[in-house]
Amino acid sequence: MSPRDRAEGMARLRRAIEEIETRSGAAAPRAPARLSLGVALDAALGGGLSCDGLHEIAPAAVADGAAATGFALGLAARRLGVRGATGLVVGEEFAARDLGALYGPGLVAHGLDLDRLVFVRAPDAPSALGAMEEALRSGAPAFVLGEIWRLKVYDLSASRRLLLAARGGATPAFLLLASAYGAADKISSAAETRFEVAAAPSAHSPSTGGGRGLPGRPSFSVRIVKARLSSGQGPPVGLDTARTIRLEWRNEEQTFDDPAFSLPLAAPAGDRLRPARAGY
Amino acid sequence: MATVRNARRLVGVDVNAARLGLAPGLALADARARIPALVAVDADPGREAKILEKIADFCARYTPLVAFDGADGLMLDVAGVAHLFGGEAGLIGDAETRFSRLGIALRCGLADNPRAASALARYGANPIAPVGLEGKAFAKWFHDMPVAALGLPPDVVADLSRAGLKRIGDLAMRPRAPITARFGSDVFARLDALTGLTRPSISPRFPPPDFVAERRFVSPIAQLQAVEANIAKLADDLVVLLERQMKGARALELSLYRVDGDVRRIHVGASRPLNEARAMARLFAERLGGGREDEIDAGFGVDLMRLSCLLAEPLPPSQSEWERAHDVERAERLADLVDRLSARLGPRRVVRQTLVEAHIPEHAVAAEPAVRAAPRSPATAFVAEAPDRPLRLFEHPEPIETVAEVPDGPPLKFRWRRMLHDVAAIEGPERIAAPWWRNANAPTRDYFRAEDSAGRRYWLYREGLYGRETMRAKWFLHGVFG
Repeated sequence: MSPRDRAEGMARLRRAIEEIETRSGAAAPRAPARLSLGVALDAALGGGLSCDGLHEIAPAAVADGAAATGFALGLAARRLGVRGATGLVVGEEFAARDLGALYGPGLVAHGLDLDRLVFVRAPDAPSALGAMEEALRSGAPAFVLGEIWRLKVYDLSASRRLLLAARGGATPAFLLLASAYGAADKISSAAETRFEVAAAPSAHSPSTGGGRGLPGRPSFSVRIVKARLSSGQGPPVGLDTARTIRLEWRNEEQTFDDPAFSLPLAAPAGDRLRPARAGY
Repeated sequence: MATVRNARRLVGVDVNAARLGLAPGLALADARARIPALVAVDADPGREAKILEKIADFCARYTPLVAFDGADGLMLDVAGVAHLFGGEAGLIGDAETRFSRLGIALRCGLADNPRAASALARYGANPIAPVGLEGKAFAKWFHDMPVAALGLPPDVVADLSRAGLKRIGDLAMRPRAPITARFGSDVFARLDALTGLTRPSISPRFPPPDFVAERRFVSPIAQLQAVEANIAKLADDLVVLLERQMKGARALELSLYRVDGDVRRIHVGASRPLNEARAMARLFAERLGGGREDEIDAGFGVDLMRLSCLLAEPLPPSQSEWERAHDVERAERLADLVDRLSARLGPRRVVRQTLVEAHIPEHAVAAEPAVRAAPRSPATAFVAEAPDRPLRLFEHPEPIETVAEVPDGPPLKFRWRRMLHDVAAIEGPERIAAPWWRNANAPTRDYFRAEDSAGRRYWLYREGLYGRETMRAKWFLHGVFG
């Protein structure tokens, strides 16, 4: 039995148990399932991301919006790998105009399955937050990924509403704060986790003609600004908010790697997406 | 009035003017000479058509089959509905009262076939013709009418009257061949339609819905809560109708008929066949309660509400297997969510993306409303080690300034949004030409994947082949990678 078969089998059994428990209640109280992101991040987060919480992603600088998007979509792809359902992506229209609209072939190349994504283009930030809240509360999607440009409307009470909706529907919420570059430490919100993401130079592969190399896999440098255990205690042991973690996204396996090691740091997602072709 | 044959002439008169002896066709100068106090306004066919459309909307309260009859009439197929208004006389009485309240004078005709009804409305003394008129009785009703009642073009009518054929009776009594030879076959085709020998069909403005539930109110309702409560009741009624045929609604329309003659139509769609009254009511509640332009302006109140199912589809057989039941339930919950969001934000804002086989990057993906799109089976196959398409694509590629070693080489540096980027790694070109069969003149693009010294990855392209298509190639930034 190969490791992948075993991982798939485990994921299937876990899902079956989850289904039974949602119908007839848990036999014994269990720790809520957490989304594993790989050794480096899991240790700092106290065992992965909670699957019923609000997690924010902010770019480190103006030009890091794409890196933050890539990291958030990595989280989304991992979540799709363990939960067989469709994900919802809600974006504020202005963000799509300023940063570019999410592009299907690029998402496929990033390792996402377009058939399992529904996109919502909200005219403004309040309606984006409203759509996110409704989706979270329904508990139907595998995750809800939101993108907000106008941060003024996203205050403590708005974030609390999202968190409560996520708890109610047992669905994780990922929120991209598109215009919060450099302000990740100053935001106050009810979110459990906040990442600050910057682009990092990728491992260039040598070009055949000499000269400059070819760009490699998507790479990020991630700083965990805030992490709170969902049970209501303080931050997990060993959280260092000053440390930046280098990560590389492997789109075929949907794992985050430390580029310093050659082996993946996260186990491949159990029910991973079938790799998709870029269309032609 | 309008200009007809080089003179300002009357084209329509109201009741008072008719009583004073004015008639359409009279020159304005003559009319003024007879009645110095005449109030004449210019005819506006566009606005008249619009008003007629509104009246047609209003008439949909009687029957879903409403068609235009020329530029100044409406044809309603009232077969099987008259009893709802207390018989044919009751129906006409109801219409006359309602229209006179709106300040519109009405001429009605009701007969076995559309042609006869139209003739009665325009030239008849008595609006309702008895059923099955034949022979002498028919002659008594119709033979005294002018030939114009057949709805023939004015020049044919003029020719006929010049030949002495002024009344329908004149035509009906004569042998057909000579008249057909001289005036065309249309004359007798219309006469046959009038007698009921042939039955032309009317073409209604809107196709009749598959299922309809409606409620009439003796005293009009104006409050939103009352409207919502009645939507729920209508949905209950509609579900009963749908269940009889094991069907579910994919498209619904709610029509609110206001007392002042205005009709408001609200459409909602569903991504799976719906047969639950609560789900339907919730979709409309999203639209009505959204605080957007859709809010109902009940005005003086609504006295008829109609809920129609425009598109019904058979319900899929219910899954009995335990495992499947769960997947289906989850899919249904997602479908409900998609429907609610589509109703609130509009279907074009809630989409699925599908890949299209096209080389031009902006055409390689299509967004379909999630309400309509069905999730399709996953595509097979291949993901490159490093993504070859950007995560975010700009709708309008943004021009950049570049520095390169040679004019057709890859850039060393570029400036985008006032920031200078040093290119540390670059891959390309990927040459993408516009499809020659569509526009041969569009310049070819050479795409590059570039990473700057900070690790940010961009998708750049140069427009135009250097030396062949252009001497000054322009550079653009089209997308950004994660």
